[in-house]
Amino acid sequence: MFGNPETLAWLILFLPLLSAVGITLFTQRQPKVSALISIGAVALSFVLSCALFASLPLDKGLHEIAFQWLSVGNLEVSIGARLDGLSLMMLLVVTGVGGIIHVYSYGYMHDDASFSRFFASMSLFTFSMLGIVLANNFLQMFVFWELVGVSSYLLIGFWYERASAADACKKAFITNRLGDFGFLLGIIMVWAAAGSLNFAQLEQRFASSPEVMGAMATVAGLLVFCGAMGKSAQFPLHVWLPDAMEGPTPVSALIHAATMVAAGVYMLCRVFFMLNAPALEIISWIGGFTALLAALIAVQQDDIKRILAYSTLSQLGYMIMAVGLGGPTAAMYHLSTHAFFKALLFLGAGSIIHALHHEQDIWKMGGLKEKMPVTFWTFILGTLALAGVPPLSGFFSKDEILAAAYHHNLFLFALAVIVAVLTTFYMFRLVFVALLGKARSQAVAHAHESPGVMKFPLLILAVPTVLAGFWSIDGLFNRQFGAETSAHASNWISQIFAPFNHAPAAALAGIGAVIFGFSLALTCYQNAESDPLPKKLGFLARAMRNRFYFDELYAGLIRITQEFLASIADFLDRWIVAGLLVRGTHGTTDIAGRALRLVQTGNLQTYAFLFAAGVALVLLIVLGK
Amino acid sequence: MSPLTYILGWPLLGAALVALTPRNYRFVIRTVALFTTLVSMLLAVKMFVQFQTGIATPQFVQKVPWVESLGISYYVGVDGLNVGLVLMGAIVAFAATCMSWEIKTREKEFYFLLLTMISGILGAFASLDIFFLYFFHELALIPTFIMIGVWGRGEEKNYATFQITLYLTIGALLALVGLIVLYIQSGAQTFDMLELTRHIQANPLSVNAQNLIFPFLLFGFGILVSLWPFHTWAPLGYGSAPTPTAMLHAGVLKKFGLYGLLRLAFPLLPDAAHGWLNIIAILCLGNILYVGLVAIRQKQLHMLIGNSSVAHMGFIFLGLASLNLVGVTGAVVIMVAHGFLAALSFGLGGYLFQATGTFEMKEWGGLMKKMPFIGAAFVMAAMAGCGLPGFANFVGEVMVFFAAWKTFPVATIFALWGGLVIGAVYMLRAVRAVAHGPLPGKWAELTDAGLWRKVPFIILLGSLIIFGCVPRLLTDKIRPNAEEIVKMATRTAAPKIEPVTVGLGK
Repeated sequence: MFGNPETLAWLILFLPLLSAVGITLFTQRQPKVSALISIGAVALSFVLSCALFASLPLDKGLHEIAFQWLSVGNLEVSIGARLDGLSLMMLLVVTGVGGIIHVYSYGYMHDDASFSRFFASMSLFTFSMLGIVLANNFLQMFVFWELVGVSSYLLIGFWYERASAADACKKAFITNRLGDFGFLLGIIMVWAAAGSLNFAQLEQRFASSPEVMGAMATVAGLLVFCGAMGKSAQFPLHVWLPDAMEGPTPVSALIHAATMVAAGVYMLCRVFFMLNAPALEIISWIGGFTALLAALIAVQQDDIKRILAYSTLSQLGYMIMAVGLGGPTAAMYHLSTHAFFKALLFLGAGSIIHALHHEQDIWKMGGLKEKMPVTFWTFILGTLALAGVPPLSGFFSKDEILAAAYHHNLFLFALAVIVAVLTTFYMFRLVFVALLGKARSQAVAHAHESPGVMKFPLLILAVPTVLAGFWSIDGLFNRQFGAETSAHASNWISQIFAPFNHAPAAALAGIGAVIFGFSLALTCYQNAESDPLPKKLGFLARAMRNRFYFDELYAGLIRITQEFLASIADFLDRWIVAGLLVRGTHGTTDIAGRALRLVQTGNLQTYAFLFAAGVALVLLIVLGK
Repeated sequence: MSPLTYILGWPLLGAALVALTPRNYRFVIRTVALFTTLVSMLLAVKMFVQFQTGIATPQFVQKVPWVESLGISYYVGVDGLNVGLVLMGAIVAFAATCMSWEIKTREKEFYFLLLTMISGILGAFASLDIFFLYFFHELALIPTFIMIGVWGRGEEKNYATFQITLYLTIGALLALVGLIVLYIQSGAQTFDMLELTRHIQANPLSVNAQNLIFPFLLFGFGILVSLWPFHTWAPLGYGSAPTPTAMLHAGVLKKFGLYGLLRLAFPLLPDAAHGWLNIIAILCLGNILYVGLVAIRQKQLHMLIGNSSVAHMGFIFLGLASLNLVGVTGAVVIMVAHGFLAALSFGLGGYLFQATGTFEMKEWGGLMKKMPFIGAAFVMAAMAGCGLPGFANFVGEVMVFFAAWKTFPVATIFALWGGLVIGAVYMLRAVRAVAHGPLPGKWAELTDAGLWRKVPFIILLGSLIIFGCVPRLLTDKIRPNAEEIVKMATRTAAPKIEPVTVGLGK
């Protein structure tokens, strides 16, 4: 029974939903049971995903299963599962990393009053995310896209009684909705022009007649990209992600590192066939710009989670840029490795925050190496991988992006190298200030290593962080999307050197960036008492610290557009439509009533005359045409 | 006898029993009302389940001739267009009766009027005879005015009563004139909708006659549905109405206008309808955008819900105006979905008013902490209201968007903006103000709804979720009839013109 891929796929998808519904309805008051159900569901999904991965021969085309959800006229929508290299790898990432984060949450959230609600929301989120991964058509993807939006709303706003969290979840949802507006419009355009929503059918149609979208091809592609802009927090819709750090830290690790924000990149890879050259060009520039912008902002943040949040933005910019430049392989490769090491970094940050009783300011940390050795060493591994130090996983995936940029667009290549320098710089700023040096506050003195249930997830995640470069993840995507890079090396020693053979300039630039960034951080922050940059950079540092004033700019924009229009509409409604016209009618009716009272003479003959006249008038109108 | 006769008969019987019960037997009165509406709801569910999909002819019919010389008969039956509405009406009726615990004065009169109104509503949607369609509608409408006037709340109660009475009476009157002229002009000598339709299909009305009748029906029915700019009665009227009345009117009775347009105006007057499609598409943007923006500015919850309910009507009009299978089916789906949603939101608003004595959103905050169930239901209602998948509204709205794109591309873009962005802004604003944020000290004593008070909300939420997750329960039933309507409405005598997109062109 379980050998059948169809059963497996449905089980993987619906187990987390069952868990969410079950917890909500039955085990609200038994927090331990809720946690076990939720962890069990995602763990089982992971095991089944492995089984599915092992049992499907990936090189023999795709497997697709579906049932019809809605069918009216020419609008046919199914809920299905499309099983190919892309979705299977993503399944493993989502359930694997997600499962580890579920376990970690058990420790991190243990004293929270709404433990059950937390796990119900986590399960709902996992279900929605798996729905995106498995989607075989556009509308299914949109449905689960929205569900991911709402479950992240629930998780970011988990501590809803805090005003900041309540504002953050609202902001995240509405910003995502802006992107979804474009996304749905793009989907409708594609459906209207190509007559289908199914990815496989669309791919065929685009392959057989590339002009199917006509003049709207670029517009439709960019509209669909709007969806990715929202979920993957690309400029100009990037403002929600840092605020979303108001949620509990495991949520940040799950949603804002490994899964939800990756959905945008995943979706672009899924619909890569419909993106034409001009659209890809714009996509790569937006990605590159976001990468640079976010890296600059990250340099001047003091909140440990915000640094990681901007770092995530910046890395997502890399992936989006990679989609625009070289296609899905490099982007998906980086997405996978990034999911491992960024989740590790977030969980490490959570471990520190937990130990310091919810202190998040890096200038109040320091001296954690001896206090929390496991957290410290795994955090260092994550940092090295993010910076792109060989032979850790991040080196290989980042190198593919740099190589793609090197081959296609030298300006973006330079930009990507600058971002790599900045990445190393802000990560080692974090390490020098928060982890090394001497203790900077009282809280550190009482800190101690987190319990096992939080420690082991760090250790487990450290494994792929170090080794994922040797698992030929890119080979899997290459098989599906066609090779952008040369054939893969056979043993691991030659794998280390493969980047240098293939595009030596890119590999050397990447390593140079690490060295340069590290030495900058070393000079500025080793044993620093305070941040030296504001003095050196002046206004630039202030702008970076204030996120280049995007939030203020948008607030102003909203005030002069939407709020302004709304107050005009409200004014009109209150005073013109309801006031003058209706109350005016009121007055007129009053006068008419007084006039008509004159007609009410009480004289039967007058009534009879008026009645007859009325009937005659109606007949005249009706018949006298 | 048709189950429909029982479905609308039980509440009528209940009204008679309430009238006969002495006024201080309050428990008996309440039990009678709850029992009769419960039976009616269960019968409606049974009928919905037994309904055969795939055929367009009405089912569960019963015809009793009344005034044969004029061709009037008591004729009830359901097809794809009204089966969902009757089910929704019966469910909302039971939920509204459950919510009537808030009425503490003159209960006997209230329950009498409530049950009469329910019977009228169900009768209006079950009737296949135009005379009875109209009669039942009036039977439901008049109690509405009295209930708002007597049991209403708020400072503007009297003005609201005056306004809603004036508007709806004018609307109903215009529609009546249109219907009478239609009856005379057709020459079929019958009020039987099916026969009238057959007759007019065989002998179409002249274009002039159609042009004369259509505006009466469009604006008459349009006013009943709060078509922009004739919408201002709705938010204020609903805000001032007692909760059960608001649930029933906003949820069910309001759909009567749309039902009339769909069932009579579009298929019987196709030539005239075509000239008006562009105008309808523009007016519906008034609902979606303008009223949506007005909703953003509201400071009181009932005004926000009222405006949002007006805004949602725009999607239905857009679906009807697109006049193709997907759009019309989508419009009917929203009619049903919005019924559940409006009843749910007005019910929750009323519950909060009863608990706190205010509608001012700034007085609230963090109520989720004290009322986890009501808070969660409120969040779900807000999410359903901004078109979240999983709730029935999404299915209808997305169908309308897909359908309208080819005929009205620009209007579709605006409607999408209204549905996805403006809707989310005001709904989340409400959630933020009501359920999230710190809890003011004065609400520390609030308690969550008890099991019985939860019942209406659970039923309504359940209905929204079931139809949202398994939309084919509705769409498969609607499709054959929607196909028929579209065929009739697009079969014009004049040379076929694609709806020109005046002011909305590509």
